[in-house]
Formats: sequence, structure tokens, C-alpha cells
Amino acid sequence: MTLPFFFLEFMTGLASAASLFLLAVGLSLIFGALGIVNFAHGSFFVLGAYFLFALTRGDAAGFWHYLLVALAASLVLGAVVERVFMRRVLNRAEHYQILLTYALLLIIEDVSKIFFGPEYKSIGMPKGFEMPVLVLGIPFPSYYLGLVGLAAVAALMLWLFLHRTHYGTLVRAVTQDREMLEALGVNVPLLFTLIFALGIGLAGFGGAVSLPLQSISTGVAVDSVISAFIVVVVGGLGSIWGTLLGAILIGEIQAFGALVLPEFSIAFTYALMAVVLLFRPWGLLGRRPAVRT
Amino acid sequence: MKVKLAVAAVVLAVLPWFLQDYGLQVAIQALVLAGFAMAFNLLFRNTGLLSFGHAACFGTGGYATALLVSKLGWNFAATLPLALVAAALVSLLIGFFSVRLTKIYFTMLTLAFAQMLWAVVHKWYGFTGGDNGITSLLPSGLLGNPKGLYYASLISLAVVSAIIHVVRRSPAGYTLRAVRDNPARAEAIGISAFEYMVAAFVLSGTLSGLAGFLQVAWQHSAFPDLFYWTTSAEVIIAVILGGGSEFFGPVVGAVVLVVLEAVVRSHTQYWPLALGFVLLAMVLFFPSGVISLFHRRQREEAPRAAA
Repeated sequence: MTLPFFFLEFMTGLASAASLFLLAVGLSLIFGALGIVNFAHGSFFVLGAYFLFALTRGDAAGFWHYLLVALAASLVLGAVVERVFMRRVLNRAEHYQILLTYALLLIIEDVSKIFFGPEYKSIGMPKGFEMPVLVLGIPFPSYYLGLVGLAAVAALMLWLFLHRTHYGTLVRAVTQDREMLEALGVNVPLLFTLIFALGIGLAGFGGAVSLPLQSISTGVAVDSVISAFIVVVVGGLGSIWGTLLGAILIGEIQAFGALVLPEFSIAFTYALMAVVLLFRPWGLLGRRPAVRT
Repeated sequence: MKVKLAVAAVVLAVLPWFLQDYGLQVAIQALVLAGFAMAFNLLFRNTGLLSFGHAACFGTGGYATALLVSKLGWNFAATLPLALVAAALVSLLIGFFSVRLTKIYFTMLTLAFAQMLWAVVHKWYGFTGGDNGITSLLPSGLLGNPKGLYYASLISLAVVSAIIHVVRRSPAGYTLRAVRDNPARAEAIGISAFEYMVAAFVLSGTLSGLAGFLQVAWQHSAFPDLFYWTTSAEVIIAVILGGGSEFFGPVVGAVVLVVLEAVVRSHTQYWPLALGFVLLAMVLFFPSGVISLFHRRQREEAPRAAA
């Protein structure tokens, strides 16, 4: 394996890490705050891609401004789903939360089949990224680099929101002590709606920006939600930097695993998840809970 | 209870004589899923642990049989003991590591193990056939004939139910529920919670392997889907839909699920959509499951996961 080739494979891994990060970070945020494991998370990722495809009609020309529309639609959808369904199971046993989100997964899968058709959707490289760039003398899709940049900007903005704004402080507070926050007069149900909308918005955005990279069909939802679980569990449930680290690890393992042992590269990622759960159940960068969980 | 059970047994025993081919296939599928759901609920009801990895035990039982028949030419029925041993070993491995964790961490770890097995089975073309699966497995004798398979599945379900009933009523069953309700106190009086939970996991997983064996006998093939997380989701749905806190709740759930699917699919391709709405309605309006609709007073919700 020559050095330029190695580097390009690394960049490819980074591009899928970018997509994984956008998919998984909302899952992590939602689990941290609401305590809900959202099995429908991958479905919102797919829906984001479908929104974009429907808006652009598969033509990459309108990519950038329709991307904002797809993001807005995902945010609104997230808020509605939280208001209508999630808050009814917030204080219920885990298996009801899992069943409810699984029901949403099933419904979204069929409804999007009805509206958008069952075939795979894909789109060309968006404006400004049509031409490959030369990396170490080898042509490389410039959009891969653009996607990494987008994810980096999203991560940075999310960090600034959580650590430098009033609402961000409330989001971090609610993950630690919901009752205390309520006692202080904060409108926690509204905060939950905001967090859920943000998480779903990020997933939808992630799906939309991943569309030039991979073709997407309704069946992608069940696979991608599991990928998101791996990323979040490896990085640490509820930790943003952990999710970023997890996404990079999984992205690179899949990129290089496909070269070394293509038959077992997916199994590697599950093995990593199992090992992390066994030795650090709270994840590589997660906070160790005060009480053993 | 005894009267109801006797009536149900008589009805189930004569049912094949009143069913057409298709109806009999649906009935077999319902019995197989019912056995799987009972096995799953042995763990869930008595320990509060929600496993998302039971597809691994189910799939192992099925694939052990499929591999022995296709590679070594064994007689189908003769593979049953080895299928159970294989399922027991896989459950021992998963249970040994997983029961150290609780709540969502347990669920995620069992999910990771099952997905790991799925990934290997799905990709290892040289041994398992990868995603092409193992096809044209034709069981001979009793298992090869629909009525025979029906009775085999019915007897399996009866045996599984009897085992679970005995375990529940035994000192070990009470110990398990003590661990579920208060692990700290159980440990304090000298109970090894770990050993009891591993044992429950292995028994539950082995009986799930029996269901996997029957599933392969029914569909004459084995595919990696048997290991995929949606298989684990399906058994959880059956248990909770029926009512996990009732002894035969999982059987009711499995029958409702399979029959409903057969009916809906004969009208439309959108079965997942219909199932989604059924689950939504269940979670929001009748959380104690279908079986609770037959009771006058509402039962309490299924046991919460151990704190």
C-alpha cells in the first residue's frame, strides 16, 4: 500500500465519518437529555435525503438552497414527533420507548415508499464540487473534502451552542438533573422539544448531505440506525466529542477493514462496540456515572 | 385457568384438520414464533433484562441445523441435539459478558453480539453461503409434512411452556425475581446474582435455538436475517403485544402478530405500516398487551428493567 493511496483511503474514511457524525450526534443528544433510545433515528436520516431528492428532483443544481429547506423540514418534523409521541413515553419503561420508536421506523419506511417510491435515490456532485481535486497527484472527489468540512462546521457550531449560549447551558443542565431545572422554573417540556427537533434536524441534514456520497433507499434506515448506535456507544452516550471520535474510528475501520479483511470489516465495528461496552460502558469519552449503571 | 388451558389444547390439537394448506403454514409460523416469544420472556419477565440479541440464539439453532444438513448430509431431525448445544454455547458466551451490565447497556451489548454474528454469517460466503443463505433443505419424515411439522411445533411449545412453568415455580425462579426486584438485597443475603442471570440467559437462549431449528424446518432454508436485529425486535414485539406479565401473553402476542400479518398481507403490501400503527396504539392505549383486553381489571405494566 503506497503512501498516497493510504492517505486517500484515510480521507474516504473521514468522509463517511462526517456522515456518521451528523447521523449519530442527534441520537446521542436525545439519549443524553430525554433518556430515549431512538430506533427511528436512521429513518429521519433517510427522510432528510428523500426531502432533498424530492425538492431537487435529482438535479444537483439546486443542492445548496434546497439543503436548507430539507434541514428546516427535518427540524419541524422532529418538533412535531416529540410533541405528538415522545412525551407520552418519557416516563415509561424502556421497552415502551423502544417499541414506540420502532413503530415510527416502520411507519416512516412505508410512508416514504408510498410518497417517494421504493427505488434507490442518488444525486450528482453539488455545485462547486463537480470537479475532482488532485491529492498527492491522484484525483479525489472534492465533495468528500467538502463533507468533512461541513461536519466539522456542524460540530463546532453545536459546541458553541452548548457551551456559549443560554439555551445550550440549559440543554447540558437537563441531561444532569431534570427535576432541579424544573424547580428553577425552566420549561423542560419545551426544552425537550427543542432538543429532539435539533437531533432530528441534524440527522435529516446528515442524510441530505450524504446523498451525493451514497445512494439511499428506505431500507437504509435499519442499517444506519445500528451504525449510529455503534458510534454513540463507542464514543459515549451523550458526549459530542465522543460521538466525533466514535464516528472517525468507525469510518476508518470500515475504510481500511474493507481493504484488509473485506469479509469481516463490519464484524470488527460490532466487536469494537462490544469491547467498549464491556470495559467502559459509558464510552471512550463519556462521563462515568456516579452510580454503577 | 386449567379449563381454559384444556380447551385451548383440544382446539390446537384438532386445528390442522380444519385448515387449508395456507392456513396450516400460518399456524405453524405462529407456533414457532410463540415458542420463541415464550423463551425470550423467560429472561425478560424473570430478570427484567431486555435482550436485543436473542436473534443470535435463534439464528444459531437454525444455522447449526442448516449447516449439518447441507454440509454433512445429516438427517434433519437428528441435528436437533447439536442445534440446542450450539445455541446454548452462544447464549453462554453472550450471557456471560452481557449480564454484568444493566438496563440500556445490557440491551446494547446483546445487540452488538448478535450483530457481530450476523455480520460474520452475512459475509462468510465460504462457510455459511453469505447472504445467499442455505437453501433447499428438505426435512424428511415427520418434519417434512405440514401436519407433522405443526404437531412438532405444538409439542415444542408445550414442552417449552412446561419447562418455564417449572422454572418459575422452583426456588431458582423465586431467586431470579428477587434479584430482579432488588439486586443489592439479594446479593446481601448471599445470592450470586451473576450466576442466576447467566443461567436464565442460557436457558432462554437454548429454547430460542429450538425455535430457530423449527423456523428452518418450516422455511426449508436459512438466511442471515435470522440473526439480524429486526428478528430480535419481532420477538420483543410479540411478547409485549401479547402481554409480557402474563404467562401465556407471548403466545397470544405471537398468534395475533402472525395472523394479523397474514391477513394484512393478503390485502396490501404495506404490512410494516399496519404493524407500526398497531404498535403505536398498543404503547399509547393498551400497554399491558392484547391479553389484558380479556381481563376485566387492568393489570399492572410488565416489570420494569431492574434498577
